[in-house]
Amino acid sequence: MPSPVRLTLPVVAVFASVTAAAQDPRIDRVPAESRAAVVALIDSARGAGLPVEPLMQRALEGTTKHASGERIVAAVRHLAGDLGRARDALGAPASPAELNAGAMALRAGASSETLAELRRARRDALIVPLAVLTDLMASGVPADSAAAAVLALAATTRDADLVAFRQAVERDIALGAAPGPAAAAAASSFSAAPQASGAHGQQGAQPRKP
Amino acid sequence: MFEDRPDIVERVVSYLKRPVRIDAALDRRVMEEIASVAPPRARGLLTAWLTGRRIAVSPLGALAAAAGLAAIVVVAYRGALSERAGAGATGEGVARQYSFVVRAPQATRVSLVGDFNDWDAARTPMRRVGAESAVWTTAVPLAPGRYRYAFLADGSRWLADPAAPLARDEEFGPPSSVVTVGGS
Repeated sequence: MPSPVRLTLPVVAVFASVTAAAQDPRIDRVPAESRAAVVALIDSARGAGLPVEPLMQRALEGTTKHASGERIVAAVRHLAGDLGRARDALGAPASPAELNAGAMALRAGASSETLAELRRARRDALIVPLAVLTDLMASGVPADSAAAAVLALAATTRDADLVAFRQAVERDIALGAAPGPAAAAAASSFSAAPQASGAHGQQGAQPRKP
Repeated sequence: MFEDRPDIVERVVSYLKRPVRIDAALDRRVMEEIASVAPPRARGLLTAWLTGRRIAVSPLGALAAAAGLAAIVVVAYRGALSERAGAGATGEGVARQYSFVVRAPQATRVSLVGDFNDWDAARTPMRRVGAESAVWTTAVPLAPGRYRYAFLADGSRWLADPAAPLARDEEFGPPSSVVTVGGS
């Protein structure tokens, strides 16, 4: 095959990849004044091997909330940075969903070291432990206490039990307990409870409330 | 024209069949001419790209090239779809139905928006539990992950879910709610 043809195929592939964000019809919903900047950020993230769907979702969320174009661009840029930090902490094999959950945890106040420790402690996916960590901190549990509680449970606790753990902490806080001690007490309770009891497990295929 | 003069035809044929003497140095001169022509690489890159050329491709080769191109497109499209379907948003794995309920007495219409439906108010309209009820509900499939969502009343009023953890949003203002779906 002549060399120009051999050169053309990779060029076409790269061009198709680079223009993927521009071709995503959802981008048309984003305010016109910020569209080009959002596309550039998404393309840049894709080039860096970061997941781009969370960036698109952030832009769409800002659009639905009637945020200004400037705020949308700043938020997307901020999230792209957090995704990069999450990947540094969780390692390159982390899934896109793990990176997104890691970015949320970092933003809520978790340290990169906590994310790396979670990765070492748990063989299963880290999405739910990271989400629980984020929610605990959002509930007022200090970052250190939240990290200690989640790390204590992460190695052996199923996702459903981690969610139940978070609900128990939130309930105790709503009843007046201090957030830090509430997390520690619930972690002790859950780590002592048999995991196969099903007491906090999945409830089948019935529709459930969050 | 000469159909009635076969002798003329035969003479022409014999003339054309006569032996031709070729210069013994012809081969050398031809090769020298070829060697004197500059190779294509000597031309500029731009000229090379702009110069039209014919490519001979067998039908089988053309089919193979078309199949390869189609494969690239399909793989790229499926990759984009898989990311949109969950892996790149906030969840991955088997989806389960989750129900969402909100009380909105003043609303005439309510939508569920979140990072599972592109924050699009048209995608997941909620329905009243009863004709006169102030309670609205809907259910969506969610794969394991952490999702942010909210309710949008009458297309503009932002409602967080009082029954779910709040996700503050210092960048956009109105807080959202969070649902975490376990996978194991």
